Amino acid sequence: MSVFVKETESIAQSVQGFSEETVRAHSAARNEPEWMLEFRLNAWRQFEQMPWPQPTDESWRRTRLTGFDLNHFKPLAVATGQVEKGELSKFLQDELNEMDSAASMVFEDSGLRNRILNTNLDEHGVIFTDLQRAVLEYPELVRKYFMTEAVKPDLNKFTALHAALWDTGAFVYVPAKARVTLPLQVILNQCTPGVGGYHHTLVVTEEGAEVTVVDDLLGAKDGLQASVVELILGAGSVVRYMNLQDFEHSAWNFLTGRAVMSRDADLRWIQVSWGSRLTKAFLDVDLMGPGGHAELLGIYFPTGEQHIDHQTLQLHRAPHCFSDLLFNGALKDRSRSVYMGVIKVFPGAQKTDAYQRNGNLILDPTARADSIPGLEIQADDVRCTHGATVAQVEEEYVFYLMARGLSRPQAERMIVQGFFQAVLDRVPVESVVHKLESVIERKIGG
Amino acid sequence: MSVLEIRNLHAAVEDREILKGVNLTLRTGEIHALMGPNGSGKSTLAYVIAGHPHYEVTEGDILLDGESILDLEPDERCKKGIFLAFQYPVAVPGVSVANFLRTAVSNVRGYTSRPVDAEGRSGVIGSNLMPMREFRKELNEKMKEFNVDPSFARRYLNDGFSGGEKKRTEVLQMAMLQPKFAILDESDSGLDIDALRVVADGINKLATPDRGFLLITHYQRILNYVKPHYVSIFYDGRIVMTGGPEVAHMLEEKGYSWVEREFGEAVTA
Repeated sequence: MSVFVKETESIAQSVQGFSEETVRAHSAARNEPEWMLEFRLNAWRQFEQMPWPQPTDESWRRTRLTGFDLNHFKPLAVATGQVEKGELSKFLQDELNEMDSAASMVFEDSGLRNRILNTNLDEHGVIFTDLQRAVLEYPELVRKYFMTEAVKPDLNKFTALHAALWDTGAFVYVPAKARVTLPLQVILNQCTPGVGGYHHTLVVTEEGAEVTVVDDLLGAKDGLQASVVELILGAGSVVRYMNLQDFEHSAWNFLTGRAVMSRDADLRWIQVSWGSRLTKAFLDVDLMGPGGHAELLGIYFPTGEQHIDHQTLQLHRAPHCFSDLLFNGALKDRSRSVYMGVIKVFPGAQKTDAYQRNGNLILDPTARADSIPGLEIQADDVRCTHGATVAQVEEEYVFYLMARGLSRPQAERMIVQGFFQAVLDRVPVESVVHKLESVIERKIGG
Repeated sequence: MSVLEIRNLHAAVEDREILKGVNLTLRTGEIHALMGPNGSGKSTLAYVIAGHPHYEVTEGDILLDGESILDLEPDERCKKGIFLAFQYPVAVPGVSVANFLRTAVSNVRGYTSRPVDAEGRSGVIGSNLMPMREFRKELNEKMKEFNVDPSFARRYLNDGFSGGEKKRTEVLQMAMLQPKFAILDESDSGLDIDALRVVADGINKLATPDRGFLLITHYQRILNYVKPHYVSIFYDGRIVMTGGPEVAHMLEEKGYSWVEREFGEAVTA
């Protein structure tokens, strides 16, 4: 048990800067098997070889890393060990209490703090454990799926860094035909300021399985978070995934996520980007088998000086697949958003049915939204539509609502909330909807 | 009794004068039909009464019980009892009819200006709403009474509504807000005969002695269902003739070309 309970102070303190030594010490502190150390070291070498993103890279043209310096962060936080739910801070307990979940895990800084099973997952062969433990307990599964299929370490500079230093994260494995009806809840609270965090989510479903996973990402004051999400959907399986990012506004946040979908798999991915000073998120759905159904839904609401960038790929490799992307964002103050997306239809992916829409509501003239939708179609029998809007609150809407007795702030608030509703309507967990609504309310007001 | 008085009202859009001295007095208990050709400025009059920011009042006044409402925001006018039923109600995506109406009704009935909510809890002024159960009950009753399908409560405001559904929802909103004066801007336009009947029935149900109506219309046909006390002819930004219901019949016989022949000269002179 001790291996996932404690990473000792002495080891953490010996960790100096971002280096191979740090990688080795991190792995040793976790008593990791040789293969994982090798995996990390390989990734570290790749990280060292890869150049930092340049403003000339298409993905980074509108999102500059000005002011970002790895040496400003401690590479890793110290794990503080597990506690009972009652010993968690009040707001984490509230987060847990709000959701009716099948099971939950709370991570603080670089380690697991608390795990609760509300239902008997083992009975159905469902695995819901922290990745650190999974490396030791399910090495075959982890070796097979961890950064091998969906997100490989050398995908970009941040995935390489992540692969070398990953710390927290959930491993979810749902065997064939097993169905987990209530959500699995994962909370990461990166509480120590100024550190790096590398949260991983690995969800594997076998044929016909069903699962809902919610990732809540908090904290990261003055810190760095380079997370990876891997969703590997077996044939006909159904996955609902929610990534709710609400970091401090001083956090640098880099997310790379990809869903790999077999025949007839069904995915709904909700991406919420509320926090961080800067977010660059790469989100891909890869429809590998025929009959796949993917929905990629996002909301963002930068305020102040926040900069939020989503870059998406809908990869249609197989025929008869459906994908629907909808990202809606509102912007206040001097904030900025970037949306870039491509629907790519490979040769032979006939009867593809793909949509991509990005809507932006500008609430202050000093805010700016860039939207660059795109299509790359190499099959001839497809239906693809895309569209982007950048608009202000319609004065005619405001007048109509005011003529019915709503004050101007009430009318504007209602219109902004309504703008997000198209996504909120498709969020499958009620408590998440309420939470998102209250954040929207707070962001409009503040 | 309340009085809505429009005195020598001039209004312009981008320096183009559209209302050129409108005089009209509407009392509670009265139905006053305002008929006129397209482009005569009827809808502008409706918007100006409701306080649309696009129009500038350059002369004259609008008085509610002797007090000018020109300086009031649209929501303040609404709270004082003025309701405009739009010719083209806008669709507001993501805002449900029930959610919107609860806020509207709570404002108009003063719930939101109370320091405590219905359960006696104190809260921020402006955040208190009419109790959900009470509101639901009333909304359901009104929906039934005004022939609006209950499913509309959850639907987004005017989003994907047919022309008839929009107009019926306008009448429903009027029933919930209980205004003193209702300005109906072509509530009959674009409706087939069945939908027209439903809307006219709604108006008749709401035509109580404590409420006045300004019924703006291009066609005489709604007046077969809603009986006005007065009919005025509106032409080129002002009222050119006022009389009883016989004016509408005359207009139907003679047509708007007659109005143009009769009053066109005088205006350009």
